[in-house]
Amino acid sequence: MAEIDAAGHTTREINAAIRQCIADSCKEITVRNPGARHNLAVAILDDAQIRLAGSAGYYCGGLIDGASIEIEGSAGWGVAESMLSGTVRVHGSAGSGAAAAIRGGTVVIHGDAAARLGVSMKGGRVIVAGNCGYMAGFMAQKGTLVVCGDVGEAFADSMYATVCYVGGKIANLGTDAVIAPMDPGEAERLDETLSAYLPAPLRDAKPAAADFKKVVAGRKLWNFDKREWRIWQEAL
Amino acid sequence: MCGIVGYLDKIGAEGGNVGSVLLGMLNALACRGPDSAGVALFGARQSGQLVAQVKLGDNGNGTARAGEVKIIAEKFGGREFTQTGAYLRFVFGETDDLKPFITGVEGAGRDVEVVSVGRRLEIVKQVGSPSRLEQTFGISEFHGKHGIGHTRLSTESVVDLSHSQPFWGHGYPDLAIVHNGHITNYHQLRRQYEQRGVRFYTENDSEVVAIFLADKLRQGADVHAAMESMIGELDGSFSCLVATDSAIGFVKDTFSFKPLVFAETDDFVAVATEEIAIRGAIKGDFTVREAQAKEVQVWRR
Repeated sequence: MAEIDAAGHTTREINAAIRQCIADSCKEITVRNPGARHNLAVAILDDAQIRLAGSAGYYCGGLIDGASIEIEGSAGWGVAESMLSGTVRVHGSAGSGAAAAIRGGTVVIHGDAAARLGVSMKGGRVIVAGNCGYMAGFMAQKGTLVVCGDVGEAFADSMYATVCYVGGKIANLGTDAVIAPMDPGEAERLDETLSAYLPAPLRDAKPAAADFKKVVAGRKLWNFDKREWRIWQEAL
Repeated sequence: MCGIVGYLDKIGAEGGNVGSVLLGMLNALACRGPDSAGVALFGARQSGQLVAQVKLGDNGNGTARAGEVKIIAEKFGGREFTQTGAYLRFVFGETDDLKPFITGVEGAGRDVEVVSVGRRLEIVKQVGSPSRLEQTFGISEFHGKHGIGHTRLSTESVVDLSHSQPFWGHGYPDLAIVHNGHITNYHQLRRQYEQRGVRFYTENDSEVVAIFLADKLRQGADVHAAMESMIGELDGSFSCLVATDSAIGFVKDTFSFKPLVFAETDDFVAVATEEIAIRGAIKGDFTVREAQAKEVQVWRR
């Protein structure tokens, strides 16, 4: 167990201290007084466990491969952006672009997510216990996006093969997004995922897995067909 | 970039420390744009009179100009004159029609501008960082319950005092805005307002936000409705804070282009471009959330 006090230090010094701990084989690290500063704990290529005792600014946990990061406050823009593997958990709410372009790993947000959640994700798993804002899942390619609460406008616009589940209301679906029935056993798997990643009181307060709406790509935009010119005009 | 901040003390009396809270928040955001900084502060309500902040000119001939402005202002009951930097502050008699006052005072010179008028509102802004604003005006000593502030990274228009923010809803007492973003139908809106005889003082697209809201309020809309109508009628990106003598609020554009976070507790409301500003200026245990696209919130004092 190592403790790093961020107060009075530059971001570079804090991140260097985190890396030094890992190099010294101390893999449980607590960062005190993070103060919502940007770029904390980015590009950690190790399975270390890092706890921020407060809020994080922009891009916290971005580009990590294997680390487990717990943010005990809220997170700013682009939390966990482009992560490869590992876990990022936000106890509060996340800003815009949370989990954008992730390739793997799991991002859990106990509160709400702002605009552009999980855009262009290429794998991995995103679980939001609260609501999310405008244009979540835009151009998402693979992986799973779960929002237990309500989702904002243009949800799942122009997606490829990401599968989304929504527990609350959908303001409106984006271009080529469709609601699909769940396959046999799918609701059970979703329930297992939610129970595994959300603390019990949070999970219990959310809808039953079978009541989630599944949203996938309608596949109209996957291949160009000039007979579908109208759809393309609308999409572009 | 640009950083915007707002604060409302929900429980304190008029003697609240809004000036020092806003300064603390602005200092934390100064790296987002140090071109210019400003605050719109709402102090104790003047009874039967208005307080004015007047920019004396662009070229440092302040003292001579101050004399000329004083003579004009005295015709409107102006008194308690104090000059700080490029500004002359004074109080004058309450009136329903500010037009003769503004035309009169600004007649003292082409570069004279009435920066703010209100029962509570005082706007001070200048070129440079928030810490320079504090050096010139000592804003941390300003007492009141609410206010908004801005630190600017200029992208579209020149850097000088007039182009700095906050903007007063020119001619409408106690209305101030700060804006982060770009209003892309600015020229179209400006042309429409100019055809109706509205004067624009700058080339800054944010000025039209203040003029738009002043226009809506004059037509009888309440603050919330006026802000909501921005979403349909203004194009481009905007995270905006609006303050009147009795309320403070924010509005965000359709696409949520620009950041804006806020915290509300039983004691205060704090809004800022980044959470670092709120955490830097206010200690304690509270949660912060980013505003959603098209979200409008107004808090009354």
